[in-house]
Amino acid sequence: MTALATTLERIVGPTHVLSRPAALLAYRSDALPGHRLMPSLAVMPGTREELVAVVRALAADGTPFVARGAGTGLSGGALADGIVLLGLHRLRRILAIDPAARTATVEPGVVNATLTRAAAVHGLHYAPDPSSQTACTIGGNIAENAGGPHCLKYGVTLNHVRRATVVLPSGEVVELDRGDDGGYDLLGAFVGSEGCFGVVVDATVQLTPDPQQVITLLADFLRVRDAATATSRIIAAGIVPAALELMDQATIEAVESSVYAAGYPRDAAAVLLAEVDGPSIGLADDARAIEQLCREAGARGVRVATDAGERARLWQGRKKAFGAMGRVAPHLVVQDAVVPRTALADLLEEIQAIGAAHRLRVCNVFHAGDGNLHPNIPYDADDPDESARVHRAMGEIMARCIAAGGTITGEHGVGLDKLAYMESLFTAETLDAMCALRAVFDPERRANPGKVVPVRSCREWHATAAAR
Amino acid sequence: MSGHTGSGVHPTLARSPLAMARAGLDRCVHCGFCLPACPTYLALEDENDSPRGRLLLMGALLEGQVRVDDAETGRHFDQCLGCRGCESACPSGVPYGELIEATRTTLAVHRPLPVVARAILSVFAELWLLRGLLGAARLVRGSGLARLAARLLPRRLAMPFAMLASTARPAPRPYDATQVRTAAGTDSHAMPDRGRAALLTGCVMESLFTETNRATERTLSVNGWRMCAADEQGCCGALHAHAGDRETARSLARRNIAAFAASGADVIVMNSAGCGAMCREYGHLLADDPQWAARAAAFAEKVRDVSELLAEAGPRPPAASPGHARETITYDAPCHLQHAQRITAPPLRVLAALPDAQLVPLQDSDQCCGSAGIFNLLRPEVAERVLAPKLQHIAATGAAVVATGNPGCLMQIGGGLELSGAACRARHPVELLDAAYARAVRPD
Repeated sequence: MTALATTLERIVGPTHVLSRPAALLAYRSDALPGHRLMPSLAVMPGTREELVAVVRALAADGTPFVARGAGTGLSGGALADGIVLLGLHRLRRILAIDPAARTATVEPGVVNATLTRAAAVHGLHYAPDPSSQTACTIGGNIAENAGGPHCLKYGVTLNHVRRATVVLPSGEVVELDRGDDGGYDLLGAFVGSEGCFGVVVDATVQLTPDPQQVITLLADFLRVRDAATATSRIIAAGIVPAALELMDQATIEAVESSVYAAGYPRDAAAVLLAEVDGPSIGLADDARAIEQLCREAGARGVRVATDAGERARLWQGRKKAFGAMGRVAPHLVVQDAVVPRTALADLLEEIQAIGAAHRLRVCNVFHAGDGNLHPNIPYDADDPDESARVHRAMGEIMARCIAAGGTITGEHGVGLDKLAYMESLFTAETLDAMCALRAVFDPERRANPGKVVPVRSCREWHATAAAR
Repeated sequence: MSGHTGSGVHPTLARSPLAMARAGLDRCVHCGFCLPACPTYLALEDENDSPRGRLLLMGALLEGQVRVDDAETGRHFDQCLGCRGCESACPSGVPYGELIEATRTTLAVHRPLPVVARAILSVFAELWLLRGLLGAARLVRGSGLARLAARLLPRRLAMPFAMLASTARPAPRPYDATQVRTAAGTDSHAMPDRGRAALLTGCVMESLFTETNRATERTLSVNGWRMCAADEQGCCGALHAHAGDRETARSLARRNIAAFAASGADVIVMNSAGCGAMCREYGHLLADDPQWAARAAAFAEKVRDVSELLAEAGPRPPAASPGHARETITYDAPCHLQHAQRITAPPLRVLAALPDAQLVPLQDSDQCCGSAGIFNLLRPEVAERVLAPKLQHIAATGAAVVATGNPGCLMQIGGGLELSGAACRARHPVELLDAAYARAVRPD
C-alpha cells in the first residue's frame, strides 16, 4: 500500500479506497467499453469535506486524477490510465429545492432522474434529459454539458446550471457563476470541460415548470430519407418541437425485443418521435401541422399517444435504445456527430453506404431535430478483422460529417474516443487557445490528463516538457 | 443458448456452468442502466456490488484475470441479493439471475459455502428436520419469548426474533365460502367451476404462516377453485439453487413434480413469490435430465401465483362490513413476483377488491427489502442497510398495513417494523382479502 493510499484511506475510510486490480476492473471503462484503462487506485468520498480533502491530498502528492460519476459516459472520458479515479457517486444528496426560485442545489452524484422525481411534487422537473437519465449523474452532466431529446426546445445542461462550487485541482474551492452581476461567465467555461478544469462540489440548477399539455406523435416511414426530410421541414415551418427523434429499423427491432417494447412498427424503415408541449392554446395546431408535414414527406401513418402511459412507453423505448443494442452484438461503438439538418437525408444514406462497404450494420437512433447523429455499430470485439473494419468505418463517417459542415460531438464529449478527430476540426491556434484556457483552472494538467485536446497540440505543454 | 466455451475461457472453467451461460454475458453493453435498480449498489456504493460490476467480474473469472478462489471477488457475488431488479431495467435482456446462479454453482467447487449457509440449506432439504425446527420456533413465538428477545437483545441478535414475532397472527376465523356476501350481490355457488388447484404449502409458509396458507385456500374457494392436496411435497429448492447447490435443488424439484402429478391438479398455486419463481424454473433446471425434462416443463406450465388466479376471477369483491374501520394499505412488490415472474398488476387487483381499504402508493416499491431468501441471516449488516430506506418509505405513506406476497419479505419488513416500534403491520394480500370475506359472511 502506497503512502497516498494510506492518506486517502484516512480521509474516506478503508472501504472506499480500492487498490486491488480485481477491484478496479469495474472502474476501467464507462458505457463505451471499447476503451479500457486501469486506474492505479479508486477513491470514493462520501461528503463534500472528504471530497475537498481528497483533492488536496492528491494536489499535495502531485498525483493526476479523473473524476467519474456513474460511468455512463460515451466517450471514454472518465477513464484513468494508471492514475487515481475519483468516484463521485456517493455524493448523492439533494441539498435544497426552492420551488419559488425554481432551483435545486445538489451534490455531483445525484442521479438526473432522481432530481426530476424529487421536483415533481412541486410541478417542476430538471429539463436536460440524456437517455441515460435514470443512471447518469448531474456532476457528469455538467462535465459533459449533456444534452437529451428535450434539449431541442429547452437547451442543454449549460442553460440550466446557475452556479457551482468547484474544487480546483490545486485544492482551492471556488464559486463559479454565469457572470450575471458583471465579470466573466466562468461557469460557462466550466460546463462541458470534461473534468479537465476541476470537480463540482455542489451545483445549483434551474428547475422547469411541467408543461400544461404534452402531445406526443409517432410517425412511421418506409424510407429513412423521408423521415429526415420531414424533420427538416418541421423545423423550417417554424415549429419548435420539445423533441424530435429518429430511429431506424435495426434500432426499432432491438427495442421491440426488449422489456421496453413501445409498440413501434417493426416493419417501418424509420420512425420519427415528435413531441410538442406548453400551454394548451395552439398546441393541437402544432401537432396537426407536424402530422401533415410528416404525411407530405411520405409517412405511412402517424399515431398520437392517447395517455400518459402510452407517452411514457414511447419515450422509454427511445431512451433505452442504446442499451438494447446488446441484442444485436456483444460490443458497440456509437458516434455523436452534429450535422446541418438539411444534410441529414443525404448523410444518412452515405453512412449506410460506408457501413455496407465495410460489411457492418449501422443502427441509427438520434436527435433529428438538432441534427445530432448517433450512428451505432454493434460488433464483436473478439473478432480483430471486424474491429478493424469498425474503426475504419467510424473514421470515414466522421470525416464525411465534418466535410458536410458538421462537428464531432453534440453531447457525449470528446474524451478519449474523439481525440483523434480534434485536429481535423480545429486549427493549431484554436487548440492552443483551449490549452491556455485550461491552464487558468488546472495549470499542472492533473485533472483528467490526456483527454479532449491532444497533448501534442499544446505548444505551451511542449515548451514545458522540453524544458524539463 | 449454451456452448461458446471457446475464445478466452480459462481451461479450469472450460466446462463450468458459467462458461455454459457465457452467451448471456455478451449481451451486456455496459450502459449502466442497472445501477440505480440494484439495492446493494445503492447500499454499498461500490460498482463491484452492482450488476454491471458483477457481470464484468464474471467475465474476468472466465478469462482467468481473476482467480476463482479470490475471496474479495467471491464476496461481491455473495452480496448479491438475487432480487433480479436489474433484469427489469436491462434493455439488452441480460439473464442476470441465471448468470449469478451459474457463477455461484461454478465457484461452489472452489470455495465451499460458509458453515452457517450449509447448515441452513441442509435443514431445508430435510423435511422432518425443518418441520421440527420451525415447530420449535412456533413455540418460542407463542410463548411471547420471541417478542421479548426482540425487545431486549442488541439489534443484530434481535432481528431474527423480531422476524419470528412478526409472523404471529390473531386466531383464525374460518367461514363457509358459500356464505360470503359480495359487493356485487352475487353468490359463490353461482361461480363457474374454475378447476382443481393444489397449493405448494411450502416449508416456511406452512410452519410460520399456516393461516396465510388456509386463507389462500379459502379465498380461492370463494372464487370458484376446488382445492386439492399434493401430499409428499416439500421445499421448492430455491434457496439451494440461489446458493449454487444445484444438485439438491434438482432432487427437491423431482420430489415436487411427482407429488403434484399425483394430486391431479389443473394448476399449482403459489403464495410465496420466491417459491413461485423457482417452480417456474423447473423446466430449465431439469432440461438435461431425459427422464424428468418433459414432466418438469409440464409442471412449470401449471404454476400460477395466487394473485393471478384471484385477479382472473375478479376477485369477487367482499361486501363492506359497517363496523369495520377504513384502513390505509400500501403494497410492496416482492422481487421474485415483480422481477423474476413479471407479475405486477394482479396483487393490486386483489387489494383493490377490499371494501374498507384505501390503497396508497409506496415509493420504490420495486426495490428489494433485503430479505432475499436466507441472505438476511447470512449478511445481516447488508440486509439491514437495504431495509432501511424501505422502512422510511413505508413510514412516509402512513399506511396501517403493508401488503406483500412472499414469506421472506413479510418477515424482513415485519421484523423491521417490529424493531422500529411502528404500528404498521406486514400482511400477505390474500390474508387481507380472506379477513374481508370473513367479515362479509352473512349472519347465521
